[in-house]
Amino acid sequence: MEKLIEELQAKIVEILNMPDVTAADVPVDGQLVGGELGIDSIDVLEMVIMIEKDYGVVINNKELGAKVFASLRTLAAYIMEKSPGLAN
Amino acid sequence: MSGAPIYIAGMGIVSALGRGAAETLQALLQSRHGLSVMDLFPVIEPRMPVGAVDTPDDPRDAAPRTHRLARSAANQALAGSSQPPDAIILGTTTGGILTTETLLERNITDPDAYRWHALGSVSDDLARRCECRGPVITVSTACASGAVAIALAMAMLRRGLAKRVLAGGADSLCRLTYFGFKSLQLIDPLGARPLDRERRGMSVAEGAAFLLLASEPPSPNAVQLLGAGLSCDAFHATTPQPEGQGAYAAMRSALSDAGLTPGDIDYINLHGTGTLDNDLAEARAVITLFGSQPPPLSSIKGATGHSLAAAGAIEAVVAALAVQNGVAPANVGLAQVDGQLQLAPLMAPLHKPMNTVLSNSFGFGGNNAALVIGRSRKPAQTLSASSLPPLTITAAACLTGAGRTQATWQAFASGQTCHGCLADQIVCEGLPPRATRRLKRLPKLALALATEACRQLSPEQMPKAISLGTAWGALSETHDFLQRLFESSQQFPSPTDFIGSVHNAPASQVAMMLGAKRANVTTSGGDLSFEQALLAADLLTDAAAGPILVMGVDEAQPVLSPLLDGSVHKAGCLTDGGGALLLQRGGAGSGPAIEVLANGAAPQAEEIASFLRQLDFPAALDKCYGLILTGIPAEHRELAESQLRALLMESRFQGPVIDYRRRIGEFGAASAVAAALAVKILEHGSVPAALIGGPEQPLNGRGILLLGLGPRISVVRIGPP
Repeated sequence: MEKLIEELQAKIVEILNMPDVTAADVPVDGQLVGGELGIDSIDVLEMVIMIEKDYGVVINNKELGAKVFASLRTLAAYIMEKSPGLAN
Repeated sequence: MSGAPIYIAGMGIVSALGRGAAETLQALLQSRHGLSVMDLFPVIEPRMPVGAVDTPDDPRDAAPRTHRLARSAANQALAGSSQPPDAIILGTTTGGILTTETLLERNITDPDAYRWHALGSVSDDLARRCECRGPVITVSTACASGAVAIALAMAMLRRGLAKRVLAGGADSLCRLTYFGFKSLQLIDPLGARPLDRERRGMSVAEGAAFLLLASEPPSPNAVQLLGAGLSCDAFHATTPQPEGQGAYAAMRSALSDAGLTPGDIDYINLHGTGTLDNDLAEARAVITLFGSQPPPLSSIKGATGHSLAAAGAIEAVVAALAVQNGVAPANVGLAQVDGQLQLAPLMAPLHKPMNTVLSNSFGFGGNNAALVIGRSRKPAQTLSASSLPPLTITAAACLTGAGRTQATWQAFASGQTCHGCLADQIVCEGLPPRATRRLKRLPKLALALATEACRQLSPEQMPKAISLGTAWGALSETHDFLQRLFESSQQFPSPTDFIGSVHNAPASQVAMMLGAKRANVTTSGGDLSFEQALLAADLLTDAAAGPILVMGVDEAQPVLSPLLDGSVHKAGCLTDGGGALLLQRGGAGSGPAIEVLANGAAPQAEEIASFLRQLDFPAALDKCYGLILTGIPAEHRELAESQLRALLMESRFQGPVIDYRRRIGEFGAASAVAAALAVKILEHGSVPAALIGGPEQPLNGRGILLLGLGPRISVVRIGPP
């Protein structure tokens, strides 16, 4: 899980394309969308694509999306649960 | 203040519901829905419902689908007219992209195959076919395009600049919009259900519609275009302002333009796409303006799908049909209305006499347009010829391979070329990193220009409206979206690239940065895109309007620019940049005047004399103008040079003539750079020696003419004041 969180932090920084944000700046338990980093609905859609592409997990429902993207930890937990490659 | 009504002298419509007014009306009366599963080109499963037009491809006709849809609707609107229209104003977002996508997927590298790509080629094609020799404007303000085109046509007629204008919109289905909206999760897999509590998005569609608008009544009982209102949310690239403030502003302004109050409206044709955010914001705007008991209302997009740039024109025709036939269409696709909206849309067609219909069209970038169509209850006002003072330039900026404004001016004035592409780092200097993090080349260029043109302005001097011309739009985003779409077998195109790929994305970024909430127009007419933006700005700016920012900007994209732009291909070198002018109405003494004197089909050699007379040029051109800056695109050099020779001979102009593309470089918006440099030359007071290979030539208070030559021609005067 922690490894996946670190991996996601790096990918999110790449998606955000912010010169002043490092992977460590992406909060693990804090608010992910609409928080200090300015992550908005378009970034969420880019993350949805990345998660489907890299982990084979589809997120295509608005309510589900809001729950999954509550924090980085909830996102990682959802991927762990659904990803064919990461399943225990 | 309201303006005079304009008459609808002809209508044409083609949509998923059928072809022509009679078929469309029949479908609306039967509440038929025209959506079908996507089968126009191969797409991955699950295939989404779309609003496709039943029209077979003709292998003998190379014209792309958008062009053919536009022709079909234009032919209907012009049927029965013996004369060509004086002007054509068309909204489109797709142009020839459907054909381009196929070519790119097959790695076709012959530029000739891409000659139908440009948005402006749709209107140019119509102008050629119906022999319209007057002004052509191609508008691309996303899903508001068709309605914005009609609003501009209305302004042109009210000003007395034309007597008959063909105005409307056209868009075909294509991979860019189908997969783009899919990547944004804005497509309802069950088909659009506008205002329904279970709604999940829109159905992408195609179609075209035109109104032939006239300043004189074609028949005693003709339906009229009574008013139009434009606004910009200046809020977000895709999401509407949640309270519908921009939608409210557009509707209110359309009503005021028509001289009506909310209580006068008999039916509202909603934008009603079926997306969660649009329908909610629009409902809030309707309730704010009309109160809790608004007039009967419905969206037809559950029946037609959302035909993007065509939608505003299609729904203007539907509004006219509603008035003519006394019937308001049902909100097809709706099972149970979303209680949160607090609206009661029509579940079945409503038969009752109708005098006034309000039709809404909103688009990406927060571009909003509302039209009022009906029969005037008041005696018709008479049109008065324009007595507005010209627009004047209060600030200018440009950007080229040589640098930003000052660096470009220094290079230009010392006779150096400005070719090349300025480093991204310099373009972004002074722009907040968070505002540009998702942007590629074109919006960054636009923001850099807007920032420089609006530097040190007080809040009341800031522009409220934006008019931006671009020949090719955001090529980087378009290229990257399609590349990822093809590489990932249609699975993972980038939503960010799709949002950025729309032609009006740069203008909406500028509006957000400046907080400009009035009209926001993007024009795309090849090498004369900036000139079209100037013309649109003139039409949008009445005596009471605030400052307007007019820009021309184009980017160089290594793959697409040489394929699409024949002049870039010929030059063999990539150059980009643009120019921005801050304009205001009147304000004598504050800066040089700027005026589009001509914009139309190029005159034949033997017509040059009469062309010059129409421009109201003084007999001795030299007395008014001390310099001609002439735009000779490399693609049309031979034609343009012969036009220039004829013009110079006929006008006996003896002053200096500068072929500015040789110095600035080959790209669509080079004329916007030339306009900004003309302002610099006027400030300088004389034409620098290095530009003309002789001593400095004093202007002595004379102005500068900006000529755009080629298959279409434009003449813009800058100064004298």
